[in-house]
Amino acid sequence: MTPSERSRTVRTAVAITTAAVLVAGLAACGGGGGGGDGDEGPPRRGGTLKLVGAGDIDHMDPVSAYYTATGFLERAWTRQLFTYPASTDRNKAIQPTPDIATELPTRQNGGISADGKTYTIKLRDGVMWGTQQPREIVAEDFVRTFKRMANPVQPVGAPGYFASTLEGWQEYFDRYVKAFDEKNANAKEPTAKNLAAFQNDNDIEGVQAKDDKTLVFKLRNPATDFVNILATTFTTPSPVEYDRYVPDSAEFKQNTVSSGPYKITKYTAGKEIVLGRNTAWRQNTDPVRNAWVDQIQVTQGQDSDAAVQQQLESGSADLSWDLPVPTSSIPQLQSANDPNLGVYGGGISNPYLVFNYRSPNAGKAMSKLKVRQAINLAIDKVALGKVYGGSSLNTPLHNAIPPGNVGYKPINLYPTKGNQGDVNRCRQLLREAGYPNGLKLNAAYRNSGNHPRIAQSYAQDLKECGIQVTLSPVRQGDYYGTYLADARNATEGKWDITAPGWIPDWFGNNGRTVLQPLFDSGSCPPAGVNYGCYQSDRVDDLMDQALTAKSEDEAAGLWAQADRQIMEDAAIVPFQDQKTPLYHSSRVKNAIFLPHLNAYFDPTHVWLDGG
Amino acid sequence: MSVTDLAAEPMPAGLEPESIEGRSPWRLAWSRLVRDRVAIASLIVILLMVAAALAAPLFAALTGHSPTDQYRETGLTDQGIPVGPGAEFWLGTDSLGRDLFVRTVYGARISLLVGVVATLLATFAGVVIGLVAGYFGGIVDTILARAIDVVLSFPYLIFAMALVSVIGPSLVMTTLVIAFFSWASIARIVRGQTLAIKEKEYIEAARSLGASPMRIMFVDVLPNLVAPVIVLATLLVPTAIVFEATLSWLGLGVDVRIPSWGAMLAESQSFFRVAWWYLIFPAGALLLTTLAFNLLGDGVRDALDPRSERLFATRRKGKP
Repeated sequence: MTPSERSRTVRTAVAITTAAVLVAGLAACGGGGGGGDGDEGPPRRGGTLKLVGAGDIDHMDPVSAYYTATGFLERAWTRQLFTYPASTDRNKAIQPTPDIATELPTRQNGGISADGKTYTIKLRDGVMWGTQQPREIVAEDFVRTFKRMANPVQPVGAPGYFASTLEGWQEYFDRYVKAFDEKNANAKEPTAKNLAAFQNDNDIEGVQAKDDKTLVFKLRNPATDFVNILATTFTTPSPVEYDRYVPDSAEFKQNTVSSGPYKITKYTAGKEIVLGRNTAWRQNTDPVRNAWVDQIQVTQGQDSDAAVQQQLESGSADLSWDLPVPTSSIPQLQSANDPNLGVYGGGISNPYLVFNYRSPNAGKAMSKLKVRQAINLAIDKVALGKVYGGSSLNTPLHNAIPPGNVGYKPINLYPTKGNQGDVNRCRQLLREAGYPNGLKLNAAYRNSGNHPRIAQSYAQDLKECGIQVTLSPVRQGDYYGTYLADARNATEGKWDITAPGWIPDWFGNNGRTVLQPLFDSGSCPPAGVNYGCYQSDRVDDLMDQALTAKSEDEAAGLWAQADRQIMEDAAIVPFQDQKTPLYHSSRVKNAIFLPHLNAYFDPTHVWLDGG
Repeated sequence: MSVTDLAAEPMPAGLEPESIEGRSPWRLAWSRLVRDRVAIASLIVILLMVAAALAAPLFAALTGHSPTDQYRETGLTDQGIPVGPGAEFWLGTDSLGRDLFVRTVYGARISLLVGVVATLLATFAGVVIGLVAGYFGGIVDTILARAIDVVLSFPYLIFAMALVSVIGPSLVMTTLVIAFFSWASIARIVRGQTLAIKEKEYIEAARSLGASPMRIMFVDVLPNLVAPVIVLATLLVPTAIVFEATLSWLGLGVDVRIPSWGAMLAESQSFFRVAWWYLIFPAGALLLTTLAFNLLGDGVRDALDPRSERLFATRRKGKP
């Protein structure tokens, strides 16, 4: 990508990553222990899987939905071309597998052209829409999705993935926005009718339906992770019925059409979501999903993680909807060897400390390499791990890329004894940087969950090194979308350091969803989620090369180089590689963790024991 | 601290014995108060709290723990769970490995400071506004009385949350917010009393002698209001302390690192199942202090006017 394109592609990335990152709060907790899916007898059909938790989904429309909680429901009521299999083997679980597509495209089977720029994908027979009269899902339904992604009312959650890969998608997006831009003289009202008319009159060059069963994608450059992009829920097919509604409108939310084994039978915003069986779904057309339970019921409005945990332990609910297992419950559950506790995941850098390069405070301290390095040396990563449940769940991390993601090559440029920080070397670097008497910095933190304690923990490390930190609370709901996305908060020095989180949209070959959003120079707020506005030509180059590399191995080497450069520049302080403890009620069987959703079991594989 | 002064101070002022037999109303009140064992016990508890708050640095020196320092190695288990009461940490630690005893004692400073200062501010504002409204009447009264009604009918917690999240939390901010939502109840009582008193003959007399409204309000009317105002103020202190705790509990109080009972209670929420001390000690301190102020307030009221039940019964029910 050229720089100008880059800044365009991430324009709406704010919304996206907000969502992706918000999830980090959820995943953020600690613990350890067994939890497995062993001999549990034959699956039992029936029953209602009950989830309790705090908040609502972000969007109902799969095109824009980005929270992992929403993704959990989408697993049950939508299907994609490719998806991730339910497997207890992590290596299998992070590899895309065909869903509506018949097979993974390769050069051998002709799915990928010799130049790597054309993908031809065949659709499976007999996959039906859950409409009144079930009818087959056709290639045109996917084309409609890629067009709907560009709608100006509620566009796709992660436009960058599509703009940077698909031929003509960005241009389509721009044309679409322009046609409905109020500043434009002959702009149209964004009514359902007008939006549908635009979509039906305009095509995306890179997305074509060759026939009812064949989709052809044309890429701008070869992209070894394109199948991963097609496995995001944004690419869920859209039935022609969706032309009747404004995307993600209240009407839309009451009229979703299901492609998966379940359908939305009731949705009351902020209160309740109920999924029942979709009778049009056929097991023999779906290689990924089962559907053991009859209903999935989500009850919201429960803010306390301890209260939710209590309900799971007593059996009045089965799974947590969006709250983590409380850190404090984990040792107890572990020592009791509770079989319902499991520790999963890993490969997530959450949270991490980001430096605001644009801050004018303390003589532009944050733009000085030695100050950032000093802070890297000051942080006690063991203490931070204790906030999230201790060392069994958190491994101190020294890379920008956490393990389990492409390009991870362990380095430790700022080693300290026992990972507990080194006050003396921190002070020395501060002196060298021209701050013999220390300095004052502003830190913004989210005032919920573990975040206040994380902030107080690093503030104490910095205090010992002579850095006085003023801590300002920001509401969790405002943190990403409003506070960090507002570039003025950065340029005016409202914050110098802050600790956001990040969960990649997929694992494995995922540089596009790990390093690029966070460190690309065109991705500074308000455009993107490079919150500190780190800018390095070398890193930009390396990332561009990695994204268009011929093979995954070649890409891995380039990502690793970018990672090293980022850490040499001390653009962030990685804290820890984090695992996720999950708890379920004792009647939940066959709970299989889905790494790409990070904090959820596969609802289509769970079955309920007894009454 | 000044709270106790507030309750006790007027007594010596009224003490001057005019004759051997004659006992001033203040003296009578004092003797009634002394006989009220609950009130005296409350007073002692409050004085002890004040002493503890003042001596907080002493306790910090004694334990060797500052209220904000985190003892991650000794004060937390490997899994980040607080350690219980013991030789090193007398009342255990909190979720960051800080000394709960030292923090609870320092928390008394915030609670008492905010409680008392906010009460003083609210009392001052309430008395002045109530006096002016009651004495002048007419349009002034209409405006001020409506203002009082408006403040009293505010959803104060929601407004306080909005205000604090816009301006940002700080000690001064918290105190001002609490004072702002507390003056109206005093103003209403003072206004009512003033309305009654200003019809009295001696006020007529003062006026006909050419006394200025200022003089009449503050020299002739105000002394008659001292008793109810003292009672109201004493009862306002615990409300203010709880208000501060509520704001802190919501994360809208003072700096998150400074110990405050409300914030400590909030932090203990997800830990109390494994660390009872985390909840019990700050909650106990808060309960003890507010209870003591409430009981003392009741005692002072009974002492100042044995027949005052009816006068204050409605007001107390109406308090948020």
